[in-house]
Amino acid sequence: MSARLGVDPVACEGVGMCAHLAPELVRLDSWGYPILTARELDGRDERRAGQAVTGCPRRALFLDRRG
Amino acid sequence: MTARPPVLHLASEPAPEPCRPLLEAPVRFADDHLGVLHVRDHLDEHRAAFGRRPRLSADEVLGLLDATALTGRGGGHFPVARKWRTTRDAVRATGRTAVVVANAGEGEPASAKDAALLVARPHLVLDGLATAAETVGAGDVVVWTHGDAHELHRVLAGALAERRAAGLVEPSVRLVSGPGRYLSGEASAVVRALSGGPALPEFRRRPAAVEGVRGRPTVVNNVETLARVGLLARSGATGATGAGTSLLTVLAARRRTVVEVPATALLADAARAGGWHGAPPQAVLLGGYGGSWVPWSEAAGLRVDEVALREAGLSLGAGVLALLPAGACGLAETARVSAYLAASSARQCGPCVFGLPAISGVVEALVRGDARKADLRRLQRFAGEVSGRGACHHPDGAVRMTLSALRTFAGDVERHRRRRPCAGVDHPPVLPVPVTP
Repeated sequence: MSARLGVDPVACEGVGMCAHLAPELVRLDSWGYPILTARELDGRDERRAGQAVTGCPRRALFLDRRG
Repeated sequence: MTARPPVLHLASEPAPEPCRPLLEAPVRFADDHLGVLHVRDHLDEHRAAFGRRPRLSADEVLGLLDATALTGRGGGHFPVARKWRTTRDAVRATGRTAVVVANAGEGEPASAKDAALLVARPHLVLDGLATAAETVGAGDVVVWTHGDAHELHRVLAGALAERRAAGLVEPSVRLVSGPGRYLSGEASAVVRALSGGPALPEFRRRPAAVEGVRGRPTVVNNVETLARVGLLARSGATGATGAGTSLLTVLAARRRTVVEVPATALLADAARAGGWHGAPPQAVLLGGYGGSWVPWSEAAGLRVDEVALREAGLSLGAGVLALLPAGACGLAETARVSAYLAASSARQCGPCVFGLPAISGVVEALVRGDARKADLRRLQRFAGEVSGRGACHHPDGAVRMTLSALRTFAGDVERHRRRRPCAGVDHPPVLPVPVTP
């Protein structure tokens, strides 16, 4: 099971919590909106990503899992 | 009323694809008003010209779509067979009926081909819609129009009434109008509006073909695509597959002309057919306002063929050929269009809300002679940050158009940057830009 980080750009309001919680997976653009790593997440990444997902106050981040 | 045969060829020739199965002659728009069009197929004329709509099995229809590789003409050129199979499979898997939408929401300011087609051949579009509904297993069939397209609404309501009166065996159709904004014809905006929400694009984790209107599998097809399905279903009888031509809107000298050209035609042929005369244009904006500027010296010899254009990194998009005369300034046109696209954002996704005005601001500064090299580097960075980061493809198109202008009008960029006089600054505007709220 692999996972990727995804964002609903309509729900996202550029709060930036994700970049604080998972700086190695998320950077912010010129206006403070998240640019996500495109890579498949390994176990350690996935824990970090999970923290960013649960920490998003807009519930805009998600983990896309494919079997 | 005279019957018009759909197949026009000499008896001595081998039966070729008719050269203009959808439009008999170019349709010229004097302004934004469709009242110039009196031609319209009533149901009896339509049947005399094309015959009755054959009822084919889903597998027969999908086989015909495969054989002709028909792609969507709303701008995306996605294979129709793949979209319909996805929805049919989702209907089978979930046991829920599908929603099928004929999208007549033509938001592209330079485009008029869908309007021209709907006024000329409403029943061919509705035939294709019925075939689509039967093929995927629809329980709800909709024609979506912009609320300010009163003429189209009247034509469609009239055509639907004729079909009901004639007792045609087909699913019943709802006519639904949304706002007349640039983005309200975007497929996910249509799905969202039909689900009870605003007509604004939305982010979807699963494609609408699987999970669309109120969670039901949903097909949204452009009306030209459906007219081609209407022809294709009859190909056994008429030989016209409907896949061999394209409807284009040619913008020449501030007039829009809708032409139908075969895939073997060159862009130069399409420009002539669309009323371009005299000295060649300096460039063309191909596809629409989210398309690409191409120098005419490169574009003139390209074929009106999506496959060939894709190989050149281009696309017919929504079928727009906006021709820029030699005396006009491509950067000034780009500044106006990019400001319009920024103002047309649905204002939902941050990179689009902030990025498009930032990009448009640099282009406007460049036109005024106020942009430095650092500003142009900033523009390139913004472009990279905006592209691909919206719920819909609106920001991608705006970026593509602007970057293609910087390449196509590279000489003008230098002249403007060094504040040398631009011959085109006082040229009247070429591309129509509606007033945005």
